[in-house]
Amino acid sequence: MANFQNLTIKSFHEGLVAKKFSAREVTESYLAKIKTQNADLNAYLSVAEPQALEAADAADALVSEGKEVPALAGVPLGVKDNILIKGLPMTAASRILEYYTASYDAGVITKLKTQHAVFLGKTNLDELAMGSSTENSAFGTTRNPHDKDRVPGGTSGGSAAVVAADIALAALGSDTGGSIRQPAGLCGVVGFKPTYGAVSRSGLSAMASSLDQIGPLAKTVEDAAILYKAIAGNDPLDATSTDKGAAAAANIEKLPALDEVKKLTIGIPREYFLDGLDEEVSTRVEGAIKKLKKLGFKFKEVSLPYTKYALSTYYIVMPAEVSSNLARLDGIRYSRIAGVDDGKLLDIYLKQRGLGFGTEAKRRILLGTFVLSSGYYDAYYEKAQRVRSLITQDFTNAFNEVDVLLTPVAPSVAFKIGEKVNDPMSMYLEDIFTIPTSLAGLPGLSLPTEPYPLGGSKLPIGFQLIGKRWHEADILNIGRWYEKE
Amino acid sequence: MGVMASIDKETLAKLAKLARIEYDPAEEAKLIADLGKILDHFKELQELDTKDVAPMTGGTDLANVTRADGERENTNRGAGVEAFPESKDGFNKVPPVFE
Repeated sequence: MANFQNLTIKSFHEGLVAKKFSAREVTESYLAKIKTQNADLNAYLSVAEPQALEAADAADALVSEGKEVPALAGVPLGVKDNILIKGLPMTAASRILEYYTASYDAGVITKLKTQHAVFLGKTNLDELAMGSSTENSAFGTTRNPHDKDRVPGGTSGGSAAVVAADIALAALGSDTGGSIRQPAGLCGVVGFKPTYGAVSRSGLSAMASSLDQIGPLAKTVEDAAILYKAIAGNDPLDATSTDKGAAAAANIEKLPALDEVKKLTIGIPREYFLDGLDEEVSTRVEGAIKKLKKLGFKFKEVSLPYTKYALSTYYIVMPAEVSSNLARLDGIRYSRIAGVDDGKLLDIYLKQRGLGFGTEAKRRILLGTFVLSSGYYDAYYEKAQRVRSLITQDFTNAFNEVDVLLTPVAPSVAFKIGEKVNDPMSMYLEDIFTIPTSLAGLPGLSLPTEPYPLGGSKLPIGFQLIGKRWHEADILNIGRWYEKE
Repeated sequence: MGVMASIDKETLAKLAKLARIEYDPAEEAKLIADLGKILDHFKELQELDTKDVAPMTGGTDLANVTRADGERENTNRGAGVEAFPESKDGFNKVPPVFE
């Protein structure tokens, strides 16, 4: 079988159109790689071989019939298993959805199907997208392809791992407080969370609706931009989705000249570089800054004074929304674990949810119930909503001085499996650099500080570029110039 | 700033009942300890004077756009029926609510 190791979405498309290979050949090679590698990585929860081959054939038909071939036609993708693909299981890595089969396509899947993209399978995650390491999956931890004793990050750990291991050409993930960007950083790939409202969440298993956003994980920023463009835009089934993000991405495949892009001023928020920042992270992010300076970008120090309150704010707002959204998982509508309840309504609720949810999901539902309960609502939930305004205002102020912000993406390299899983506070701190962006609804791009080939001597470290709302092109263009040099 | 509290056995039992979650008695001590640590962390928010700050209630700064009040085809009507653990004639079968 031919070697399709070094493909990107871009080079795949060029090769497909030039008839250097067929979509079926490439899909078959990816499926074969999954067969040999997935047992070890546990990055895919399910593989959809017949559907993938069928979609590949449809893409090949476009080529052979001389029709227009869309950018994503035949591209073999991994899809996080909290996104619905009709007819395939969607477990969200939870026992409570173990027997659920999706009965419709998510908005992003509908868009990708019109381009004849190929979905190889569903990728592992922390249960119901709650965690930072993929260790909370009810179906086993995903391992980091760079070091199998370490976590891939989370919650989109499966999606980051399949891209890093090249058992998918790119993948979809979802990000609520860093769940695309942090695993991308820990696996040495690119992860992009668009502006809140840029991409439809219809058919995404809802976690915290004022924060959730779907986005791409890819080998290059250019690929992330191509995939983002394909999924952006309004969907009548998600009332928060607009066409503003799609409009901003209209010409995203065309990279403007460096002279144009370097007119953007990059801000360094001092609150992200305080004493105590991991030395290795600090060194390599400084290295990224140096490289951008060499390219000619101008930097300015800025301040986001409310940054230190973001973690508390997030861990009030998010569980509140979780406790409400997950009420639907009741053993009555989607999936039921057999033989555990007495068939009476209240007992079904208590037992199905008690057995169906793992420790972290329970903890967040209980915490959310608490901060919303009578007597505590004002002190916790409403207080956090007010502080969320302050955190958002911080960014607005900074963006009066600079165009984008540059920060670390995670506090350290990938940690060892088991190291943090019993201490929720230390796990929550993993998202300290990604949470503020989410609270403010801004786009954030996580990209490797340098290329991290598998088998290399260093564990990956990423950095984050944060843009203004609907200015995804700013950070994607800087990222593309960064990876070119 | 209002009341700040910790979660004891009784509160936990009440929350679990409200949330319709049964927990294993063996999980109780760790749940109380973990939730206590998290709530402790939240105390830092009390430092902030927020009385003149409006709460941010969603993820976007965009205004609502309402659709025209006319007929429309529901694009995913009936989706989900086949996922019901128990159903009858296309309806979800639910045990009696009142007994």
